[in-house]
Amino acid sequence: MTDTTFPQCRIAGERLLNPDTVERLLNKICSICGVRRMIINGPRLSTAHEMSRVIKVGNQEIQLEVHVGTIILELENRDVIPALKAVCDEIFTKFSYRLQEGRFMKTEASLVDYAKYGPDADKDMLGLSDPKSRSGPVILQGSR
Amino acid sequence: MAYKPQYFPGSTHIAENRRKQLDPSHKLEKLRDVSDKDIVLLMGHRAPGSAYPSAHPPLSEQQEPNCPIRKMVTPTDGAKAGDRIRYIQFTDSMYNAPCHPYIRSYLESYRYRGMDPGTLSGRQIIECRERDLEKYAKELVGSELLDAARTGIRGCTVHGHSLRLDENGMMFDMLARFVFDKKAGAVKYVKNQVGEPLDSEVKMGKPMDDKWLKAHTTIYHSLVGVGTRDDPELIEYIQRIHSLRVKYGNCPME
Repeated sequence: MTDTTFPQCRIAGERLLNPDTVERLLNKICSICGVRRMIINGPRLSTAHEMSRVIKVGNQEIQLEVHVGTIILELENRDVIPALKAVCDEIFTKFSYRLQEGRFMKTEASLVDYAKYGPDADKDMLGLSDPKSRSGPVILQGSR
Repeated sequence: MAYKPQYFPGSTHIAENRRKQLDPSHKLEKLRDVSDKDIVLLMGHRAPGSAYPSAHPPLSEQQEPNCPIRKMVTPTDGAKAGDRIRYIQFTDSMYNAPCHPYIRSYLESYRYRGMDPGTLSGRQIIECRERDLEKYAKELVGSELLDAARTGIRGCTVHGHSLRLDENGMMFDMLARFVFDKKAGAVKYVKNQVGEPLDSEVKMGKPMDDKWLKAHTTIYHSLVGVGTRDDPELIEYIQRIHSLRVKYGNCPME
């Protein structure tokens, strides 16, 4: 879940992204000051899939389990958005993309969340990913 | 005047393409050579070169009941031999794939005998006797109905027809049955239609370019091609059918 005071953005490319592109994009995003959280979405891949490989973002290695289609970001303030746009313009050169501002993360646990994950579910993960998942979030060192 | 089938209404090139594909007198353009062995490998029902397993004795060896329909209908080769019923299934991307499930089923019904098409939103299956299937599948896979990147031969885990393409222009395939060989710029199948690894890969050739796909697609898609609403003749026809069906259902007296 998220605090409603923080602005959110969604980056959606015209194509599903190859791991190399995801790696470059995430590294660029990581270098921007003011990104609090992000989640990468897309159709799930089997582990043997050529698009499912380990990418290095910042100082962390991440196993891609999805074919990345959209990236949702939570920002500290709206001043970060121009920098995000500049990054996207740099990465998405062969096809178009959309950078939307809106509300893409849950602010309250739903009834279904309660039924699926119980009353003690990790509130930081609700609405972003499965709180019961054994692989937790990847924590990236910021540049601040 | 003898009845001349019109096959499909519409004034756009999409409708024209549909008419061409549906018309059995129109010969489908051949795009690639796929060998008999490759077809058998792709479908994965039997080992290449092995005998056809049978479901019943050949018709010539069994007593047939005295049935006027059986006398009228010539059995296909597969039915004569008593082959098993087997299938091939296709997934067509919504991004300008050359064919799509509804048209596939229609055109197969016009063109082929002794087969049973199954039409779903994202996939289309064709079931028939094994040796007939191989003959039909060879035509379906080798012709303009299949684009290497935007059409998938998928017996299971078909998800992908409505998803965005990947950066190489390939339709999403969770099982990675077909992969894009960047060096050769071509697509090859490394698994059969149900995702079992193949001993030898099957080359499908280069994917067609966007211009060709736009010109040859049979799918109305307002974002990447021609939208349904851009075809006034088709809309008029659909509205007429809709109106007649509603009136017949609710007010037959009209």
